[in-house]
Amino acid sequence: MITVKNLTKRYGKIVALNTVHFTFEDTKVIAIMGENGAGKSTLLKICAGILPFDQGEVLIDTFSITTQSLQAREHLGYLPEMPELYDRITGREFLFYIASLRKLAKAKETIENLAQLIGITEFLDYELGGYSKGMKQKISLLSAIMHAPKNLLLDEPVYGLDPLASRAILDFIKKRQGTTIFATHSTQLVEHVADTVYFLMRGNVIASAAVSSLMQQYGSIENAYFYYKDGTHA
Amino acid sequence: MEHMLETSRLLLTEITRSLLKKMRSSPILYTFFSAMIFFSVVMFAFLTFFLLHTKTRFNFMDVFFSVFFLFLMKSASDLHTYFITAPQLSYVLSINVSHRKTIGELVFGIVTINTGLWFAFSLLYLVVLSALRISIDYPVEYVLISINVISAILLGCSLSLHFFSSYRYRMIPTLLLLAFCWFSQSLVFIACMAPLVVLHMIWGLTHPLDSYRFVKRKERTKERSQVHLRSPLQTLFYREVTVIWRERLFFSFVSMSIFSALGTGYLYLYGTDLFIPESIQEMMGGFLPTLFVFLGIYIVTMYTAVFPALNLFLSEEKTMWILRNLPVANQTIVYGKTLALCLCFITTLPFLAFIPVFLGVDDMLFLFWFLVFSFLAAVIIAVPLGVKYVGKKSDILLLYSVAMILFIVLSGVGAAMNFLRGAATVSLLPLCLMLLLLEVSLVFLSLKLSALILSKPSITG
Repeated sequence: MITVKNLTKRYGKIVALNTVHFTFEDTKVIAIMGENGAGKSTLLKICAGILPFDQGEVLIDTFSITTQSLQAREHLGYLPEMPELYDRITGREFLFYIASLRKLAKAKETIENLAQLIGITEFLDYELGGYSKGMKQKISLLSAIMHAPKNLLLDEPVYGLDPLASRAILDFIKKRQGTTIFATHSTQLVEHVADTVYFLMRGNVIASAAVSSLMQQYGSIENAYFYYKDGTHA
Repeated sequence: MEHMLETSRLLLTEITRSLLKKMRSSPILYTFFSAMIFFSVVMFAFLTFFLLHTKTRFNFMDVFFSVFFLFLMKSASDLHTYFITAPQLSYVLSINVSHRKTIGELVFGIVTINTGLWFAFSLLYLVVLSALRISIDYPVEYVLISINVISAILLGCSLSLHFFSSYRYRMIPTLLLLAFCWFSQSLVFIACMAPLVVLHMIWGLTHPLDSYRFVKRKERTKERSQVHLRSPLQTLFYREVTVIWRERLFFSFVSMSIFSALGTGYLYLYGTDLFIPESIQEMMGGFLPTLFVFLGIYIVTMYTAVFPALNLFLSEEKTMWILRNLPVANQTIVYGKTLALCLCFITTLPFLAFIPVFLGVDDMLFLFWFLVFSFLAAVIIAVPLGVKYVGKKSDILLLYSVAMILFIVLSGVGAAMNFLRGAATVSLLPLCLMLLLLEVSLVFLSLKLSALILSKPSITG
């Protein structure tokens, strides 16, 4: 479970998040949608503990991301929008590096299985500096899910992935236990995997509802998005 | 006309804004750096004043070539930063303007920046000289030097353009021009070669994207894998060590240590006769060999300790998210990474192995002590600053500031210990050990401070 209480984040004079309040419950897949610069990535970065904020509180399960950050991060997996990795180590070394720092047992089996699932096995022994954008996305995703976190934060999870890997990821998100929050621009992705969707606009939550009810009411998530954004249908 | 020099303007705007942003985000560092630049230029003016008043003869062309070389290297580095490795350039290169024109404008931007720097520093130097009542009435020489500085900037750009490309033989004309400049030893001759340098630069731009493509080529190399589950401390240590090894830094440091030892030894034996006129040898002669050894150790420390210690965190700019999102204590991160500097310390040992060839073995223990002391001092200063300024990877200003702090600390301690060695009648070993113990305690304090800075919310991914 992830709880966000009255969260405010400013970049100088720009308010990226304005007293945002959420409770993301267990075993739910939550999508966050919004235009560019709405505050989606900022929200996920704050929840992952890599970005400071000005006011409010973020709890991962019952642990505060600021005062109990080590315990909070143990239950968390995070995939950034455009992951930058260490160039001079191989994919396999990177995954073992993460596994060691997370003190994972049975890392070898987990890595092999997950690498097969997202189709990156044959590239594991090459240096990360030579990876394409999609391959970097895959290896980062693998590093985020290898410890089976209770809470998973994904920023554009299928961005740059091939169709096969995208499908594997969607299936994985659907089947997994725990809370999954992902930020996306893809309405199709929301329709396929999310239980609930939040629409963010200029740092404010303008609406949130179950995906099934929005589909019933507006026909598609795209229509719902434009309705909440402009008050019109697409 | 509207689109003339669009890229040059963009480059100048980006550099100015980036500098202003850095100055706002780290005002203390940049105030310190500005003071250091001012201090350095004023010191050079005073040195000139001193040399003129002691009627010391020095070769003016040596001074000129030092300036020439500095601008050559600076512009080569600028072209590498703003063109060859610049990711943001892909958009500029994709628009319907010829690549030659775009890169030409970039070179023009670099020439403008560096020429501006030349005029700013040289005018400050001349103002101080005139305040010291030294005649500065040499307008022709000043114009000639300015033309030659522009030639150096163009040759630096050309050198960088061809060095970072798969056609390195294209450097030959550049090197030939440099050789002509060197052997002529004449300001007028070099200034007359300026049109040739401009033509050479224009020719260099006929293959504008070779270096850009060469550096951005994708290489998928298999390396011997380090795949073991280890403790967090060991894991962090091994990653740093792996990077130092794979980027061939280890060999680079070892060769630097050996060359420093050879250079120091040569200067120790012959430096006084080479650089100091007989008139003031008596005044400075005894002091200089020790100064050369000090400078040798300082250079080795800068190369093997300051660069890697700063880069432990500076290079984590965009990868910081990996560490920030893992359940690892900040103290473990700092300790694990710093431990890798032990490997860098090993690379200083060739310096100690070679230096006795020139100095004899009497002072070996003291030299070893001073090397360890310098290395630890560099770690104490550089690690917290590296953590504080995560993301300023290639910040020459930061490096310069660390270098100056280290220089002041080491020169103070070195001079005091050297004086004590000459004056004391008892062994200095207990004092040396005590100083080392004090320094080790300071290392731990410095690492604790680094961990504290890392935990501050301003250090983000």
